[in-house]
Amino acid sequence: MTNALMTLFPPDAFTLVAVILGMPLLGALINGIWGKRLGNNAVRLMALTAIGVSFVAALLSFLALDTLSHARKDEHVRLVWTAWEWMTTSGKDSAPIGIDVRFSIDALSGVMMLVVTGVGFLIHLYATSYMEHDEGFARFFAYLNLFVFSMLVLILGDNLPLLFVGWEGVGLCSYLLIGFWYQKAENAAAGKKAFLANRIGDFGLICAMFLIAYYCGSLDWKGIADHASNLVSSHEAAQVHVWPLGGGQYTGVLSFLQPKSPFTITAATAVGLALLLGCTGKSAQIPLYVWLPDAMAGPTPVSALIHAATMVTAGIYLVCRMSFVFVLSPFVMTMVACIGAATALFAATIALVQNDIKKVLAYSTVSQLGFMFLGVGVGAFTAGFFHVFTHAFFKACLFLGAGSVIHAMHARIHDGDLSQDLRKMGGLRKYMPLTHWTFLGATAAIIGLPGTSGFFSKDEILFKAFINRSEYHPALKGTLERLHAFQPPTWLGPVLYGVGVAAATMTAFYMCRLYFRTFWGEFNGWKVGTPSEVAAQEHGEHGHKDHGNDHLQIVAGPAPKESPWPMTVPLVILAAFSVFAGFLNPGFHIFALPPMEHWLEPVFKDVMESGTIAVRAGGEHLEFPLAAGGVGAFLVGTSVAYWMYIAQKRKPADAIAAAFPRLHRLMLEKWRIDELYEATVLAAVDSLAETAAAFDQWIVDGILAKVSSAVVVALGAALRVLQNGVVHVYAAMMVVGLTSIGWFFVVPHPEAVVTETAGDYVIVAGPGMGYGYRWDADGNGRPDTETFSDQATVRVHLDLGKSQVVRLEVKNAFGFTAGREISLSRPKPEPTLELGSLGGQIAPMGRQNGGQN
Amino acid sequence: MSVVDTLHASQPEVPSKLGTGQLVGLGILAVLGVLATRYVSGALPIVLAVGVAALVPRRHGAGVRIPLAVMSGLFALFVVRLWPGTEVQEAPVEEGSKLLSWLLGLPIAGALAVLFLPRQSVKTLKATTLGIMLVTLAATVPLLSVPMGRAFHFNQDFLWIERFGIHYHVALDGISLWLVVLTAFVVPIATYASFGSIDTRIKDWCFSLLLLEGAMIGAFVAMDLFLFYIFWELMLIPMYVMIGVWGGSNRIMAAVKFFLYTMFGSVLMLVAILYLAFSYQKLSGELSFDYFDLQRVLLPRETQLWLWAAFTLSFAIKVPMFPLHTWLPDAHTEAPTGGSVILAAVMLKLGTYGYLRFSLGLFPEASAELAANLAGVAVLGGILYGALCAWKQDDVKRLVAYSSVAHLGYVMLGIFAATPSSLEGSVLQMVNHGVSTGALFLLVGVVYDRRHTRMVDEFGGLAKPMPVYAALFVVATLASVGLPGTNGFVGEFLVITGTFMSNKLGHFSGVQAVGAAIGVILGALYMLGVVQKMFFGPITNPVNEHLPDVNGREIVALAPFVLAIFVIGLFPKIFLDPIHGAVSRVRDDLQARIEASPPPRFYQGAGKLLARRPEAPVALAVQGK
Repeated sequence: MTNALMTLFPPDAFTLVAVILGMPLLGALINGIWGKRLGNNAVRLMALTAIGVSFVAALLSFLALDTLSHARKDEHVRLVWTAWEWMTTSGKDSAPIGIDVRFSIDALSGVMMLVVTGVGFLIHLYATSYMEHDEGFARFFAYLNLFVFSMLVLILGDNLPLLFVGWEGVGLCSYLLIGFWYQKAENAAAGKKAFLANRIGDFGLICAMFLIAYYCGSLDWKGIADHASNLVSSHEAAQVHVWPLGGGQYTGVLSFLQPKSPFTITAATAVGLALLLGCTGKSAQIPLYVWLPDAMAGPTPVSALIHAATMVTAGIYLVCRMSFVFVLSPFVMTMVACIGAATALFAATIALVQNDIKKVLAYSTVSQLGFMFLGVGVGAFTAGFFHVFTHAFFKACLFLGAGSVIHAMHARIHDGDLSQDLRKMGGLRKYMPLTHWTFLGATAAIIGLPGTSGFFSKDEILFKAFINRSEYHPALKGTLERLHAFQPPTWLGPVLYGVGVAAATMTAFYMCRLYFRTFWGEFNGWKVGTPSEVAAQEHGEHGHKDHGNDHLQIVAGPAPKESPWPMTVPLVILAAFSVFAGFLNPGFHIFALPPMEHWLEPVFKDVMESGTIAVRAGGEHLEFPLAAGGVGAFLVGTSVAYWMYIAQKRKPADAIAAAFPRLHRLMLEKWRIDELYEATVLAAVDSLAETAAAFDQWIVDGILAKVSSAVVVALGAALRVLQNGVVHVYAAMMVVGLTSIGWFFVVPHPEAVVTETAGDYVIVAGPGMGYGYRWDADGNGRPDTETFSDQATVRVHLDLGKSQVVRLEVKNAFGFTAGREISLSRPKPEPTLELGSLGGQIAPMGRQNGGQN
Repeated sequence: MSVVDTLHASQPEVPSKLGTGQLVGLGILAVLGVLATRYVSGALPIVLAVGVAALVPRRHGAGVRIPLAVMSGLFALFVVRLWPGTEVQEAPVEEGSKLLSWLLGLPIAGALAVLFLPRQSVKTLKATTLGIMLVTLAATVPLLSVPMGRAFHFNQDFLWIERFGIHYHVALDGISLWLVVLTAFVVPIATYASFGSIDTRIKDWCFSLLLLEGAMIGAFVAMDLFLFYIFWELMLIPMYVMIGVWGGSNRIMAAVKFFLYTMFGSVLMLVAILYLAFSYQKLSGELSFDYFDLQRVLLPRETQLWLWAAFTLSFAIKVPMFPLHTWLPDAHTEAPTGGSVILAAVMLKLGTYGYLRFSLGLFPEASAELAANLAGVAVLGGILYGALCAWKQDDVKRLVAYSSVAHLGYVMLGIFAATPSSLEGSVLQMVNHGVSTGALFLLVGVVYDRRHTRMVDEFGGLAKPMPVYAALFVVATLASVGLPGTNGFVGEFLVITGTFMSNKLGHFSGVQAVGAAIGVILGALYMLGVVQKMFFGPITNPVNEHLPDVNGREIVALAPFVLAIFVIGLFPKIFLDPIHGAVSRVRDDLQARIEASPPPRFYQGAGKLLARRPEAPVALAVQGK
């Protein structure tokens, strides 16, 4: 069968990709345009068929890829399909760079593609039930299918601009789906926030694109990889000049800005930082993570698919994809790792205290993405990517489980916000056994219960964080070290490991807290407050206390019950993967499946062998000792949570919150980072815009338009005074005018035009009424002739370097005389009189014409 | 929110659902259609047209169905026939040398003809006007069948006023090709849409539109500076009348401001043209206003800078570039919808086109010397400042007007950078801006016709009563912010990338490119802001609760723009390939001149007459012999 597959779809014209991509797009178009007319059943059929067929095609492609990679051992094999030529841009020295709509599947994109279509299918199935009664059913699936299409473009695109199409496409779908219930203003605002945060990241990506186009002369993966060495050069000119901007020179008043030696970074660092900015936007890392928690305003399946399993991992995918660029700059690698570790810890602290089930999961996602960044940042690309893979299962399962809980709670409470509130839940394991068990499985995976998928992936990341160290490419080591380039400190590894373990401990704690409070204990949803009481409860002095049900009343309604099969089946499948996918882990050869590391080996082979990722001496033997950290984190976090919420029934938690009320409040309010951004960055841009608008209105338009029109009006007003219809005034003006003209004729005007050819100067005096001329052409100070004649032209010859003064006197019919001196000089090297001669030639022409008239 | 919020969501009654049998039938038909396109050559456009006609939602009649079907068929045909590498079956089209004269003459003759139609027969007037415009559009088709390359085509040249050496010289190259097509494409749409809202002085309106179209096409193809100047001024008058007669409440002020700003620049340009022509006479002995003759004149630095400044000022006002842009928001706000569309989509392009053709073509040294400074103005004053101002506007039309300042900043930046990529991107971005901003102005017009206000605060939650309108607005918005896959991205990407590669911008090419990329963020900021305020959230103003969604006329008018947004975004190569040759010619000309007399003090000495550029059309004097 694989042979037939390979014949039908040769690796260099792998048209099956068209099916993988085309089906979701078709589904989006049909559901989007004719969805309501088709009816919900047809929409469901269309959406599921689209993703299902896409998944099957993806499986077949994966099979083909497997066959091919067996056939060509140790090679980085790709299945490529070029759809059409998109455009051509130009690089350095106008060299053309073709950008084609070309897709390629290799091991990395293959795995990702399977996750997207597979998990995507399950979530689509789940959503058919979850969204069943929504007005915008067709619209929802149109967006969701469009998302899968964009995500596949992102993954399969063979060059950076095409990846960017998917990159912005998923951002768009995310925007549309967050604001899916657009009539609530907060949802629309959250969508906009997500889009803008992503756009800031996209700015980084655009910058990365032109830098790469300039330095590598190519934008597709293979071309960039082949020319990546151009990005690091010891040549000072080949560096990116950060200050002074672009390598210019400041002189004059600005010279104090001029540093002694220019501050430069390697192109690899510039590209890496630009890409990193893009990745932090898409993968919700510090500083651009703020959009992801708000994005939970969208329907829960969206949170599962886009904001947990697939889209947000695009940043890690990009780092893996461009790993050969990242490793060239130890500074960028260190930044990636530090941002990852910081985000993992920071988001985990916020998740500790949140009461909204989706918010906890959202911050958990941010934290887990931080782990992935930590992994890829220390050069453990396989481990980081493996965490993407396992995270897709357990986080999707957790979100869908949460959705199932919310679905059940909503059926009882009929209030969007309260049905997500942990304080209203509890004891749900009795009512929703399937949801409970699957949720438990996924929780076990995320907190790193040994043997589950999360344990393996997280453990590997922590281990590598401890032992790995980024270094300069061996070929450049000497030169760059001489330039005092950045070196990651030796203590970094242990610190990153420590931060990771701390974050993992918190993960275990908050996930168990979430689990216990949702499924254990007594059900708290029998009584609900009216909205005003809830508001009072939230903002009043009892603000953060979990109890205080005094004002609440019992609401009639059914007990929460298990969700229907389209929702539970995906849960079961995902939970199974969450628990067992770990055995695809490096080092285990079970079920005869090739381990993940082996699969991805060709992708990262060059990077790993380039000598840029060094291993701490003796580090290889530390795998088992270091695993203690991960296991310890799991044990400590879980037991503390059990002790606090089950054994002691939340008393310790309340006591701690009461002991540190301000800290607790700060954490509950997410460290007030949103407010910080609003007060600084946003306020700055806003006031800048206000200034610009005011400047435009009052200065540009005011001065340019109003003042110039005022000048014209004033002139008009002045002249209007003269045009007053009084005959005396006109007569007086006539007299003034005639006198002026008369004076002009009475006074002679000695004017002359000089032309020169090779030292022969011809001087022609201007004509006038009854003019007689007298010349002093030899420069002796006396007139050449005593009388005035009508000789209007004289000729003078000058040798090089000589100069002379010619005097012209004019006498007119009234006997008035006037004189003027014309100095001629002929400089040695260049005849100066020629300079600007056109200017000199045309002006006299006008004068002559005037004279004739 | 609703990008594809479906052409049906606002139907009053729930439509009957399709049964399984019907669904299967539809499926089979679809498969048959796909097979037909695969195996019958040339079937794609027809299948697409039939498909679209069949699938247009039920509440629209043939008046919407047929135009939509025809348009989608034509667009498909366009893509298929112009696909790079597609072999043209027939022998190459004979380059009818009078084609351009037909193109510009038809509308002008039509305008005169309209004068003789009775004022009362509104239908005849409208039909005649549209008919002439559609014939003009059809007449652009032969332009597309000629491989453009580096040369000028459809060259028509004869002496018009012999005494002053004024030629009637029209020719077309890859740069003007798309601008001519854009003009012929946009004007009928604007006209058709305007017939829905303009109901006074129809005859004068039709006359103005036709005259304007002819003048604009003429300005794009004129290769004699005197002729160019005539068309340049000629298009001022109809636009002035359109704003002044059919405009909003403050129309007279806006019309006068528009006229004075533009006039101020063009008078200086006229002086410069005369000076240049007389310089040519000095050097060659003959008076000529022909572009290719005047291109040969090499003037010393000081003189050249002055002439360049006179030309550039005129074009910069038209573009408009900071700080000469303030006429634009006023003119746009007060102009009727049709006028705004034409003004934004085509007229502003005359500024950018003029700079590329005349400032850069006639004074390459001066242009190169000042490119870096002007690029700074384009980035700071255009892209960034324009975007920030746009963000703070509370009138939608003003907002779109300021967004034009930002978008044309990209175009100008690309021209200043003068790399192949940036120039191609610039020319494409001219077309893109015409398409997406044209669509945006049409869309604003839709809501203005219903509410007679353009204030953002008056709206809110419009997606509920007007879902199709909201979807179309979002599509146009996304094109405007340059989402990949739409036309805006291709242009901006090429310009930004090209700018970074440029060696004409001194040390600052990197900074300019980064600045231009920041504009991408700001673009999303202001456009999504207005979308959110107008369409999402609860309906704050009860007047808006029952606004009717877009009607048939509006859909038909908007459809070609939406189609063009995606066709350009997905298949930009069709558009870029014809531009490529002309752009490399411009670059080579520029390079040759700069290398001969490099900046900063590029040329000292008397005026010189250089050799005629190799790709210029054969001179008239030589032709005759």
